[in-house]
Amino acid sequence: MFGNDSQRPAKENSVSTNETVSPSAAALSAAGDSATGPRSPKGAGPARVKIKSRPADRIFFGLSFGSASLIVVILAAVAIFLIIKAAPAITANWKSDASLAEGPTAGYADFWSYVLPLVWGTLWASAIALLIGAPIAIGIALFISHYAPRRVAGVLGYLVDLLAAVPSIVFGLWGIIVIRPLLLPLSDWLNQNLGWIPIFGGQVSTVGSTVLAGSVVLAVMILPIISSISREIFLQTPRLNEEAALALGATKWEMIRLAVLPYARSGVVSATLLGLGRALGETMAIALIISPSIIFSLRILTEGENSQTIAANIALNFQIADGLQRQALIGTGLMLFVISLGVNLIARFIVVRTGPTATRKGKRRPPEGVTIPAASTAVEATALGKAGNSHTEGARA
Amino acid sequence: MTATSGSRLGRPQGPITNTLTTGQLPRLVELYVLVGSLVVVGGILLLMGFNWGGWIFLSIVLYLVSLGVLSTIAENRRKATDRVVRSLVIVAFLLAIAPLVSTLVTVTAKGIGQLNWAFISTTGGAVFNPDTLAVTISTGALQAIVGTLEITGIAALMSVPIGILTAIYLVEYAQSGQWMARTVTFLVDVMTGIPSIVAGLFAFSLFTLVVGPKAFSGFSASVALSVLMIPIVVRSCEEMLRLVPHDLREASFALGVSRFSTITKIVLPTAIAGIITGVMIAIARVIGETAPIFMAASFTDNFNANPFNGPMQTLPVLAYTGYKFPGQDIAASNASAWGAALLLVLIVVILNIIARIVAKTFAPKGAR
Amino acid sequence: MKFKNVAAVGAIALVSAIALSACSAATPESTAAPTPTAAAFTIDPTLAGTITAGGSSAQANAEAAWTAAFTAVASGVTVNYDKSQGSGGGVTNWLAGSYDFAGSDSPLNQDNQTKSQAICGAGGALNFPVYLSGVAVIYNLPGVDLKLSSATLAKIFMLQVTTWDDPAIAADNKGATLPSTPITVVTRSDGSGTTANFTNYLSQVQPAIFTGTPGSAWPIAGTSGQQGGSGVVNTVTAGAGTIGYADHSSIGTATAAAIQSGTGTDFVSYSPDAATVAFEAAAVPAPLTDGDLSKKIDYTKISGADSYPIPLLSYAIACSTFADPAQAALVKSYIGFIGSDIGQKVAAKNAGSAPVPASILADFTASLDLIK
Repeated sequence: MFGNDSQRPAKENSVSTNETVSPSAAALSAAGDSATGPRSPKGAGPARVKIKSRPADRIFFGLSFGSASLIVVILAAVAIFLIIKAAPAITANWKSDASLAEGPTAGYADFWSYVLPLVWGTLWASAIALLIGAPIAIGIALFISHYAPRRVAGVLGYLVDLLAAVPSIVFGLWGIIVIRPLLLPLSDWLNQNLGWIPIFGGQVSTVGSTVLAGSVVLAVMILPIISSISREIFLQTPRLNEEAALALGATKWEMIRLAVLPYARSGVVSATLLGLGRALGETMAIALIISPSIIFSLRILTEGENSQTIAANIALNFQIADGLQRQALIGTGLMLFVISLGVNLIARFIVVRTGPTATRKGKRRPPEGVTIPAASTAVEATALGKAGNSHTEGARA
Repeated sequence: MTATSGSRLGRPQGPITNTLTTGQLPRLVELYVLVGSLVVVGGILLLMGFNWGGWIFLSIVLYLVSLGVLSTIAENRRKATDRVVRSLVIVAFLLAIAPLVSTLVTVTAKGIGQLNWAFISTTGGAVFNPDTLAVTISTGALQAIVGTLEITGIAALMSVPIGILTAIYLVEYAQSGQWMARTVTFLVDVMTGIPSIVAGLFAFSLFTLVVGPKAFSGFSASVALSVLMIPIVVRSCEEMLRLVPHDLREASFALGVSRFSTITKIVLPTAIAGIITGVMIAIARVIGETAPIFMAASFTDNFNANPFNGPMQTLPVLAYTGYKFPGQDIAASNASAWGAALLLVLIVVILNIIARIVAKTFAPKGAR
Repeated sequence: MKFKNVAAVGAIALVSAIALSACSAATPESTAAPTPTAAAFTIDPTLAGTITAGGSSAQANAEAAWTAAFTAVASGVTVNYDKSQGSGGGVTNWLAGSYDFAGSDSPLNQDNQTKSQAICGAGGALNFPVYLSGVAVIYNLPGVDLKLSSATLAKIFMLQVTTWDDPAIAADNKGATLPSTPITVVTRSDGSGTTANFTNYLSQVQPAIFTGTPGSAWPIAGTSGQQGGSGVVNTVTAGAGTIGYADHSSIGTATAAAIQSGTGTDFVSYSPDAATVAFEAAAVPAPLTDGDLSKKIDYTKISGADSYPIPLLSYAIACSTFADPAQAALVKSYIGFIGSDIGQKVAAKNAGSAPVPASILADFTASLDLIK
């Protein structure tokens, strides 16, 4: 791709929105920023020339600035409403309150003893989903970016991205009728032979509503997210590095290990964390599949010792809860919000700290602060595009 | 295919490596080993008690091991690793395709029987026979289709302008490094991570506080969906706007065109295909959300086309309630749940296809 | 006796009203000028408006049938019954003023009764028993017609009896071949009125064995929790050696066990009549206000071969005073209809419920008259 790009007129190449993020456009933008940056006074955008300002301009700027501010407002509103609604339950005395002493919140000393097992369950189910899903997702990404024949790569990429669009309720129903019975023999085998490992221990499930089943469905749901972002990043590997490795006699795997993986490491990590974010918030599939208990448990093959997740717990109990119980559930939602916020922050941190810092030739340097989502939207864009094609074409040319 | 590419890759090494001494496995060795593994494991399992999962799993393990060993002996360790990794990658891919195919097959098989014109074009209803006192219930998804389209449509109407304008602000107006731009970028990140049920809780809390007790409405579900949709739209639009080359903008400014006109006449038209694609994908993402819609718009069997008053039915909620709260005829309720699920998948696929076509049609000349 | 006559009048009035409604377009003035006694039964075809209600999913199928029958006559009326809310959600929304009445598997508690004065005025709320069914204990053990004593049932659901060939089960099922497979106990993972009824039953008849807190959330850890009555039924049907509980009208093709009635030797399977008889024996009036028809079910009073030991009663809860008199008339008419003999027959026919005993329905009219 690099070779092709350099020969094509830059303009034509960079407006081809169907493609992967175009290296030359980014190079241009980076160059433009550094070259003209000092000269630009203030408020100016990418172009540093002094330009006319008409009323329409000011209105339009106001509108777009207003929209940007609205995002701040919305997010603040989400946090504030959740806090307002949750505060009474968090501060209430759970032992003496009549409402909290019955229904879904019965028998807890305080809010934290109710929410902590749920936090654990949320993290646990997501972690297992990640353990199952992430390697497969990265495998798919490698397959599409480096192994698949170029004609089918685009189609295959599209198929996998289609998984992302299947509604979660469909995965839930599918999990009940397909995954639950499918995993029973495996559960039995693991329990009998590896039951001494705590996570496989306990009374093995006979109907299949296990954390394992839930996590497998979760893994399927996060596959497309991780794989499309990773694929995007693999495709951005500088072609020269790959070709250099091959020229030195590396096998394909060695080339990937030497050139692709080091380059893509931080991107893949952040993709995985984004997948984790999706898994944390998944509701209906988990609520339909897992047989929940609000406990700290490592077991993944039992009926009665599955740690419940926050989102599923809200979905299961919100309707029946009244008054303070409802507020307690909103409080758990607030905790979920905080957790997913944390995961996002960690993802950003990792990318900023370990990302490829050197601006290599022909490689688009991610603009500061937009690294993760830039990747994630590139996914969205290329889900429909033909990134795979252009890449493989380059490789074989 | 894989064998071919393997040998092609080997080609540059040809003159350097002595192929006579290192040896080369036959071209289709992977296929031979795979068939061999399947047969061997199948045979052993037939003696011990056959099971599909075990057969496939053990065959894969045997295949990987024997391929590695064979290649190590006949070729060398590096080539062996290469072959094994390639097989692993292909296995990972097949593992991912399996659930996709299984999901689609399940939904189609279960839902196709339900999917007819009457199901799409009528509201479910009941007919009472005063002589026998019998009530005949018919299933229909019209109210759910209307609800889904209205709720998602309103959500799109709210999030798309906000999303695009925010993206324009970030790309066209804000200087990189400016605190406002940094804050907004960061908050959009945070918003991407909002779990859908939290968005539902937010809409529910907001509307019970503002509207009062009769809080269920299609509009509140739209608000919940907007919270989920805005960051997706901002991200994809931002990406697309950044792809518009600077020479276009600079040429426009050089001709004395105002920034407003430059953005609306030059930048947006150039990026329009990508923006539409991004919007479509954002819609496809949120249209299947169940928990937030259920929480905010609740559920009804009646036809309600007014998004500002009263509960509204939607396809994902119909699928959920059809399973969870079946009517007297349990089979019919479950069938309508699957019918709704299939309908939903179809809508999502259609949206994806539209996005592809739009992207192709609007793509500026010269782009492939 | 008087009741039966009235019921007959009601049935005729309903049928004639349906007949009338077909040709009443030209003469909207209804001929059915309701008399005080028949008011509960005759549906006025000129009624118009929307009734918004919600709550218990147990009575949802009956509500669907009642709505169909009611609106077949009063075609100007729309009834929105939101079954997705559950009993708790129904009462919460009703207390918030969202609903005209709430469907609930348990009557209002004193606390909520006090709260209801905010929307209902000083008269508070009235609980109407409208839907009677039974909690079925369903199981999947091919070839076994399971009989369970209340003690064994409590032990199974306390997870004290863990295999099917346990002596306690064998003692109840003499002669049956019981496998040695483990028992998987399936319960509701979401809050539910069915759970409340079932745990109340267990803790009343076997307080020494069943020590869990009765309530809408299943109290014993270690069971297989499934979402919704349908989740329990599906899982019990799909699993092997499973046992669970669900509203009898929703069990579909699952097999239900016969349960020991009282402390005797009678094992009774569910039938609508057995539920009616049992409920008549067990219902203890517990009015919260004047005219309130709340019943406390004393399960220990149920005995005999003609009584199913775990009846399930569901209520319609409405204000005694509505802000809008027209809405009051509408709701009064609807609740009157579902509490009528013919309304109960419609539910029995279409939702598999048991008729609420005549002795309890007899008080309906007087209580309905309190609604203003």
